[in-house]
Amino acid sequence: MTVASTASGLLAMLQEQQPQLKKYALHNLNSLADSFWHEISASISTIESFYEDEYFEQRELAALVASKVFYYLGEHNDSLTYALGANSLFDVLEDSDYVRTLVAKCLDHYIALRKTREGEGATAIDPRLVAIVERMLDKCMQDRKYQQAIGMALDSQRLDKLQEAIRKSENVPGMLAYCFRLARTHVDKREFRQEVLRLIVNQHQGLHSPDYLTVCQCLMFLNDPQTVANILDKLIKGDKIEALLAYQIAFDLFENENQLFLLNVRDRLPEARAGSSSGGGENTETTEQNGMMDVSTSAEAATNVEDSQDNIYVDRMGKLKGILSGETPIHLTLQFLYSRNKSDLLILKTIKHSVETRNSVCHSATIYSNALMHAGTTVDTFLRDNLDWLSRATNWAKFSATAGLGVIHRGHLQQGRSLMAPYLPQDGGTGGGSPYSEGGALYALGLIHANHGEGIKSFLLESLRKTNNEVIQHGACLGLGLAALGTADDEIYEDIKHVLYTDSAIAGEAAGIAMGLLMVGSASDKAGEMLTYAHDTQHEKIIRGLALGIALVVYGREEEADTLIEQMTRDQDPILRYGGMYALALAYRGTSNNSAIRRLLHFAVSDVSDDVRRAAVLALGFVLCSDPTQTPKIVSLLSESYNAHVRYGAAMAVGISCAGTASSEAISLLEPLTSDAVDFVRQGALMAMAMVLMQATEAREPHVAVFRRQLDKIVSDKHEDTMSKMGAILAYGILDAGGRNVTISLQSRTGHDRVMAVVGMAVFTQFWYWYPLTYFVSLSFAPTAFIGLNHELRMPKFDIISDAKPALFAYPAPTAPPSVNVNIKLPTAVLSTSGRSKSKAKKDTDAKTKAEKQPDTSSQMDVGSSTGATAATSEAASTAEPPEESSSGKEAAKDGSEAMEVDSAVEKKAVNPEATSEVLSNPARVIPLQEKYVRFPEGCRYAPVKRTPAGFVMLRDLEPSEPVELVSTDSPASPAPAGGANGAPAAAPIPMGGVDLEPAPPEPFVYVP
Amino acid sequence: MDSGNSKVLEAQRLYGRLETSIFARNFDSARAFLNQLKVKLTEFSGLPPLYRHTSTQVEELKLARSILEQAVLLSVGTEDQESFELHFLQLKPYYTDTRHLIPPSNFEYIMLGLNLLRLLVQNRIAEFHTELELLSPEALKNDCIKIVVELEQALMEGAYNHVLRSRKVPHDSYNYFINLLAKTVRDEIAGCSEKAYDFLTLDDAKTIFKFTRDQDLMTYISEEHPDWEIRNRCVYFQKVKDFSLCKEIPSLQLINQTLGYARELERIV
Repeated sequence: MTVASTASGLLAMLQEQQPQLKKYALHNLNSLADSFWHEISASISTIESFYEDEYFEQRELAALVASKVFYYLGEHNDSLTYALGANSLFDVLEDSDYVRTLVAKCLDHYIALRKTREGEGATAIDPRLVAIVERMLDKCMQDRKYQQAIGMALDSQRLDKLQEAIRKSENVPGMLAYCFRLARTHVDKREFRQEVLRLIVNQHQGLHSPDYLTVCQCLMFLNDPQTVANILDKLIKGDKIEALLAYQIAFDLFENENQLFLLNVRDRLPEARAGSSSGGGENTETTEQNGMMDVSTSAEAATNVEDSQDNIYVDRMGKLKGILSGETPIHLTLQFLYSRNKSDLLILKTIKHSVETRNSVCHSATIYSNALMHAGTTVDTFLRDNLDWLSRATNWAKFSATAGLGVIHRGHLQQGRSLMAPYLPQDGGTGGGSPYSEGGALYALGLIHANHGEGIKSFLLESLRKTNNEVIQHGACLGLGLAALGTADDEIYEDIKHVLYTDSAIAGEAAGIAMGLLMVGSASDKAGEMLTYAHDTQHEKIIRGLALGIALVVYGREEEADTLIEQMTRDQDPILRYGGMYALALAYRGTSNNSAIRRLLHFAVSDVSDDVRRAAVLALGFVLCSDPTQTPKIVSLLSESYNAHVRYGAAMAVGISCAGTASSEAISLLEPLTSDAVDFVRQGALMAMAMVLMQATEAREPHVAVFRRQLDKIVSDKHEDTMSKMGAILAYGILDAGGRNVTISLQSRTGHDRVMAVVGMAVFTQFWYWYPLTYFVSLSFAPTAFIGLNHELRMPKFDIISDAKPALFAYPAPTAPPSVNVNIKLPTAVLSTSGRSKSKAKKDTDAKTKAEKQPDTSSQMDVGSSTGATAATSEAASTAEPPEESSSGKEAAKDGSEAMEVDSAVEKKAVNPEATSEVLSNPARVIPLQEKYVRFPEGCRYAPVKRTPAGFVMLRDLEPSEPVELVSTDSPASPAPAGGANGAPAAAPIPMGGVDLEPAPPEPFVYVP
Repeated sequence: MDSGNSKVLEAQRLYGRLETSIFARNFDSARAFLNQLKVKLTEFSGLPPLYRHTSTQVEELKLARSILEQAVLLSVGTEDQESFELHFLQLKPYYTDTRHLIPPSNFEYIMLGLNLLRLLVQNRIAEFHTELELLSPEALKNDCIKIVVELEQALMEGAYNHVLRSRKVPHDSYNYFINLLAKTVRDEIAGCSEKAYDFLTLDDAKTIFKFTRDQDLMTYISEEHPDWEIRNRCVYFQKVKDFSLCKEIPSLQLINQTLGYARELERIV
């Protein structure tokens, strides 16, 4: 085989006069370019001049040769330019390195152009470039590589091609799901993401059986309540399964915690009108307590009337609105948290004993810790047991102590106001209580109604208007902000603004935050107003409150917020720059946006103010919260910074983004920081570690035990600094938060950010300046529950299976032998319940029977739990118990009073350590990491509507003819239910949603002012 | 195959006419024939760089080689160095890549020598040596090559008289380049003389410039250096001898700078 040894002859031929010769030479050079590019490169200018000669016939060929040579020279940009000049001669289908590289280059270039396109004038993109990209896309589609095509289309922001790719693929629903996932995780431009989601929705609607769950998620993102309402309306008009789907959608929407959107959807649903007047819809429309009609009663009412189509519709509409307004899910969550409460009072007791009473910081830290441990469980035993001790809290400590009740009773919508009644400001001015407890009570109301404040808004507003006391204003502002989270209510805004303009430092700070809470994510121009005032005022507290408020306003707006962020980060005032960091954090929460990360890192190392640097590092945690594995890597260097503030920020960032993951990288990063030389770094690291280790068991992460011992040591060590002691106490609270049944998660299961959680976490981190804001962390608690519901929104009795060692996901063992535990606490239980029943003078007989029953059940429980302690709790024994109770429940059902009771069947302590799976019964505690192990057993009577076995799951009854056995939540076997195996009987009476039951406030325990 | 054959035959016919017109020094018609032939060559697939094995490949190669050789000679005839280079570059693969396909050409060494000579004339010494290295030892022994190599050595040594004296050429086409070379050498001498002398007598100048007759010297001066003046049988070089004074080295400034750097370096550390 003869091979050419040089291309010089051909190159010489290029100088010839005749075009044929040039063409011949070019043609041959083209085929030889791969091996003789080095020789050709010497005469590249000749070839270039051929291309530039418009009269030359073969200019495209010349361009191709030039492109190849430039490719080999590593000049990919020039190469691309000439390849484009070669038009159709550049064959994208050719299988060579050259073509592959250039096509990739082409795509990158095109994508970059498309992304900058948004700028002024929208410079037209070279049509030849477009042609190549389109050829590539078409090729992908021809090769049935639809996923690639979708990815390319998304990257290059080509909706038309995206649509084409989806339509052409054989598996349209699958592709839509894929596209949806990509849009959420990889499209970093908000506007375009919305367009994509809109497209997904449209495509779905074209399908025969659309995936309404996804569609509604998209619509929520697009903020299109009308369409969601239409879909829901259509679904509940359909058959039973469709109705279930509608409920499921409503629950899923609820999980994303977008109050304004949910309310909008609800208000857009048609008014249910039917022959029967007992429509649930009407009830949910009315406000305040009398309107809080329990779903089950409306269901009951509906079943009584004729089974006509209309009534079914009315009934379903009522249920749907109940879910959307949050009543049903909050009610169910509360039930779950209450019944499954596994908090360990002994821990608190130990803390209380080891903390010096004179040290007010540790004292209130203990109160915070208690509130967090019992968040949402309504169990306030500890406070009741220690009234004397509690009364040492004065002034602001009293404010937070009162507010702590709000955390404990969070979600207790029906009873919230009556619970707080003793502390609330009385009509006749600030007659009785101190302003601190009154302010705290208003704050508490806000916490109870956080994000679902329809019923309480007006009351809080009233209280705000009536007072001139800045402490009460402070509480009322925070309460209003929480209750009206994200509703952008102008009336409330004006009132809060009024408070702000009084220029009182304390009230102003709360007002600033409250304005932000109110306008969360609205990107309203009110931010400008706030910024102006922040420049005007002299008070640092107000500036800080406003700075955070502005950050909250731009929540989730991504690049839309950039102007404002720029303005803040360039400000002279470090507090405003500090706010700018939070604005970056919140605007880009969970997006892992590169530009945001770069800016934050820049500030983290370059700003002159320690506060700003701390906030910048901390903000990384928010930006990266969707990708927890990244955070430890990114902040690992910062965690070794010489600057203690940066180290603190790094610890918190890891805590925020890796919360509940128990990731080993996070732990190894935090571990050295927990024994840092600086006290506040230790504080931050301890709390961050607690967040990371939430719900982790020793079996899964041995470090938990080490950490608990460390906390123990810090708390009991007399020489430890107050700051780190406080950190340790709060860490305990976080670690065992919500009766060990919640975790911190800033994202919902569908991958959307939970607005309330992120906001709560952001405000929580302000506890550095203002301790009462610690309570905001409770907003980010998400119950780790699996709650299966049937079409009546009741919990049927059935089991699911978790295919993992029970020890991996069990509750932590109580700190002391349970028998001791029980002995200590039993008396309290009897006392408080009997006290409560006395207060219910109206139903004497009832109260008596209950009082009699109480000791019975508790002793019964005692036996049960002691057997549990010997680790011999057989399945049989535990399952035998509930029917008994439910039968007794049926007797009392006529009373209509409902209460919770603990289903002790779910004694999830490892029955057998060697077991590789365990049976959980509805409702069950399923922590996020456990979700993948959970499945429905074969032959199960119920089938889930959605796939993920967590959260609220609607169930399809496969044997509708069989009688339904419900989990006995509504059986009033004992109004003050026994507190399960840990023997912590909840003193608070919690008659859940009983319509005809008097609201029974707990015994007031006013600590002497 | 037939068409291939007929094409070759037609080209061969044309080639014959090209040869005759070059021989007759009818360069215009030769150029026209050559252009036609070159276009024809592009249709032969057996030629470089494709080297397709066809029945007529050997014929095609031989013919193409001859055509290009004639093209080179034609360029020499028309004293067109550019076209010389073009054609030679096209010709070269026939000498290097096709050895196993066709017998060596009679013109091979002449062509190679001519090319070397051209490089020498154009003062492209690096390429000259590159080409030289590529040649085989036998080629180096060939007269055509040897003479060029010797010329180069003479030039390098500055043995200009040797260069100017060599008049024995292996092929007529060499004359063109040799003459050019002689002129180059004279230019060199002229340049040196300007620098070295204020004036020279005509006799001395004649010796230095290696002219045999006064007439030649006069023609050379009037053609190439009209600024030279001839008075009293002497040649005066008018060149202004402004050998600009050597620039003074700014030593003091440099020393100060260096010391400054050193000081600052120390301060940084």
